[in-house]
Amino acid sequence: MQFFGGSESYLQKRRNLKVQPKKKTRIKRFTVTQRIFHLLLILFFLILGSTGLARLYIETSWGKGIASFFGGYETSFQIHKVVGILMICCFLVHAVYLLFKVVWKELPRSLLGPESLLPHPRDIKGFFQHIAWFFHIAIPPKFDRWSYWEKFDYWAVFWGIPILGITGLLLAYPVAASRIIPGWGLNVALWIHRIEAILAMAHVFIIHFFVTHLRRHNFPMDLTMFEGSADLEVTRHERPAWVTRLEESGKLNLLLASETSPRLRILYYLFGYIAMAVGIYLVIGGLANSGSITW
Amino acid sequence: MKKTVFSLATTVLLALILLASLAFSQEEVASPIMRYKQYEASTGYYEEYEVLPQRRRPIISVPGVARGVFPYSPGAAQVRIRTRLVDSHWGIKFYQNLRCRTCHMEQTRDIHTVRANLTCRQCHGGEPIASIQHYYSPMNPIRKHAYICAKCHEGAGASFASYLVHPPNPFLASTRKDFPVLFYAFWTMMVIASVTFVIFLPHAVFWGLRELFTKKEKP
Repeated sequence: MQFFGGSESYLQKRRNLKVQPKKKTRIKRFTVTQRIFHLLLILFFLILGSTGLARLYIETSWGKGIASFFGGYETSFQIHKVVGILMICCFLVHAVYLLFKVVWKELPRSLLGPESLLPHPRDIKGFFQHIAWFFHIAIPPKFDRWSYWEKFDYWAVFWGIPILGITGLLLAYPVAASRIIPGWGLNVALWIHRIEAILAMAHVFIIHFFVTHLRRHNFPMDLTMFEGSADLEVTRHERPAWVTRLEESGKLNLLLASETSPRLRILYYLFGYIAMAVGIYLVIGGLANSGSITW
Repeated sequence: MKKTVFSLATTVLLALILLASLAFSQEEVASPIMRYKQYEASTGYYEEYEVLPQRRRPIISVPGVARGVFPYSPGAAQVRIRTRLVDSHWGIKFYQNLRCRTCHMEQTRDIHTVRANLTCRQCHGGEPIASIQHYYSPMNPIRKHAYICAKCHEGAGASFASYLVHPPNPFLASTRKDFPVLFYAFWTMMVIASVTFVIFLPHAVFWGLRELFTKKEKP
């Protein structure tokens, strides 16, 4: 009887849960638009990375395997081109989005303030103080909304997409490109495209994954970018300057959010770990086979 | 009458023997209306440079040596510059028994050969392979884009043909002289990439270690 009684009370609990208003224990960090941008970025980046490495490593069985997943050497190149153009479009949309996001009325202050992603001298201070904290020399810096490594990640992508996009377009349409630049410029474009792509992949798949998801305080995964919100108390600890500033200005209540449903969280974990697995697979395979290809 | 016909025939015969035979694609390419004129954005004067050679330096050259012989490698044989011969492999012993890659191993390591699976002959043609600077060579820069590149890259112009199919290794110091733009672009990108990793890789490692031994403050 205990059994059935238990299941009854479970249903009761569910009903009660629906009635109760959700507790707002989280702080909103990203809007839906920003989360969609990041989701598209993940998807496009992984496809571009895989199809690009499939071409670069086509001499090895590892590269042939990836290429065959995308339908062979030629098809993976077509996919690389199409997704690359989609990524450029996404970047342009993001650039327009930024124009709407900038608070034009308070121009100098809004771009230099803590809500802005633009680099600021206080980031350099935060960087050195953080390193000093690694070695028990200083207390951890009081980060505001954006820490220096997050700003670096953002601007790395912001500079990477135009570099890869322009060289990529030149290389994808070489005959048309040779009417704009001399043909030998394609030799140069190829190497710029290669090094920037390898830099981007290595940075995302090694440093970004480790710093954001795998270090102890964020393990097993930081879902903030997927959920859009972070735990308020954790954020108060990690970004004290931001939460204090919001409390002082009385804007904290506007940014409070409730828990995401467990089903969505499972989906986010699944997606995040698949993305990480793909990235780590590309890094390990790429490094292991780097000696056996023609550069 | 007979004399006129005879002299005319002799002239035509002599012209056929002494002048090079017509290449049909040459006519097509030099046409002022069609094909390359509409794609090419360089000078627009095709009639001139499609047919007449320019006073252009060979693409492949030895720094400081314009003609004659140059040292192939320190202490090794002196090699005659072969960029203007009818048969660039003229006089090489047992040439029939050699493969291209026996001597040109470096030239087999490029995107066209490795990725697109092209063979040497698909661009360089059959025997005798003329030197690239030879007047009538299809590889001569004055017509390479039409005779070679455009076989696959439809619409290729002279600018397109300046792409180096066998580029120098940008890593090497010698590239600074051969292809300075490639050299400096390569090393600029390498410096950016290296600086990123030199800073952020130890940064991530020390951060990870610090957190490994620091318990997260439970809210």
